[in-house]
Amino acid sequence: MNEYIATFYSHFGAVCFKRACAACNVPAVIMPVPRSLSSSCGTCVKFQAGTEQDFPEKNEEIEQIVRVDGGRFVRIYEAEE
Amino acid sequence: MKNEKTVIAGAGVIIGIIAAALVFFGNPANMGFCIACFLRDTSGALGLHSAAAVQYIRPEIIGLVLGSCILALVNKEFKPRGGSAPVTRFVLGMFVMIGCLMFLGCPFRMILRLAGGDLNAIFGFVGFAAGILAGVFFLKKGYTLKRSYKMQKTEGALFPIVEIVLLVLLIAAPAFIHFTEPDGGPGAKHAAIVISLAAGLIVGALAQKTRLCMVGGIRDAVLFKEYKLLIGFAAIFVSALAGNLILTAVTGNTYFHLGFAGQAIAHTDGLWNALGMMLAGFGCVLLGGCPLRQLVLAGEGNTDSAVAVFGLIVGAAIAHNFGLASSADGPTANGKIAVVIGLVAVSVIAAMNSCKNDSTRRTAYEND
Repeated sequence: MNEYIATFYSHFGAVCFKRACAACNVPAVIMPVPRSLSSSCGTCVKFQAGTEQDFPEKNEEIEQIVRVDGGRFVRIYEAEE
Repeated sequence: MKNEKTVIAGAGVIIGIIAAALVFFGNPANMGFCIACFLRDTSGALGLHSAAAVQYIRPEIIGLVLGSCILALVNKEFKPRGGSAPVTRFVLGMFVMIGCLMFLGCPFRMILRLAGGDLNAIFGFVGFAAGILAGVFFLKKGYTLKRSYKMQKTEGALFPIVEIVLLVLLIAAPAFIHFTEPDGGPGAKHAAIVISLAAGLIVGALAQKTRLCMVGGIRDAVLFKEYKLLIGFAAIFVSALAGNLILTAVTGNTYFHLGFAGQAIAHTDGLWNALGMMLAGFGCVLLGGCPLRQLVLAGEGNTDSAVAVFGLIVGAAIAHNFGLASSADGPTANGKIAVVIGLVAVSVIAAMNSCKNDSTRRTAYEND
């Protein structure tokens, strides 16, 4: 099981993704974005999943998803601008 | 995590000391920093309003934006973004300023007023917290101004460039820039340009590094039980209080005066102090941060925040042109009407950008 953090363009996007995680039985918590990940002060969702196939469906509010790898953030998804 | 808290606390201590020192160097009492007052003074200097007592291009504002911009560039965090409901943000900025000028200070000055012994700010704080709770209510209801988009570098750079132009105008002091006459009011009280600019640069960089936000502290505590930003809030208060007490003891002048009456650039109407800051807190949550945070984000290239700052500047002009701003004598009738209109308008903006999204999204997930 890996730990991931998804960041969003809005707080609302994070709330929706958290709901989607709950619907898929993916353990998730909503929290402020870690400073080391971004200078924005938005909301992120930290969730646990085996692989990307286990992720809930991405909504259009997702900015990026990173895998937490020993304190480092490995970007595995970034929204197209 | 622990390290981040230490950094935020340290930044708060430094900012509090700088704020107290700026008063020693010439800024008005309890106004080492006040984003609302300083934007209002700048608005007056540019001739957007004609209140002669409050006209001066405040270098602290310029420094805040440039400090944030420089650190963001160094750390590769300068990311031009925008396009998230700019008109709504402009209007919210206007109403936040009207709320601040009812209270006579932004959330930052509210803390500094408390640190100077001004107990009227307690009413402001209560209203501010209530406004944030109202904003959080709508966040939970699905409030959003929709996503922002990547912008060209020139778009993100324009606001910092505007600040550099303001600095040139301040130094050159051409005849078309208005400056409050000596002893003509708060606009005449200021530290030397180089001191104010340096203070702004340091605080801007610290605020960019720590994401310090007067609104974010309470918002995150309520939403996530996350108290990091509140620590910064508390650190500013404690260090500014200590600075004021030390300055009072060392210089013999009054930097700390406990009570309600006779406070500098403040009035004693508790209800309107609270309602003004309620409007400011509510609007700031919908904007995503306090006026200080908007300046810092604008320095990072966020054009939505730059638009919010322009809204704050125009709001200041409206407040003085229409007689909405309070004075030491108290709030005005026009100001009271404006704050009530502001609370209604901000509530409507919050509701219009919440319920529909929430039901739409919920339906979408139910269909899934």
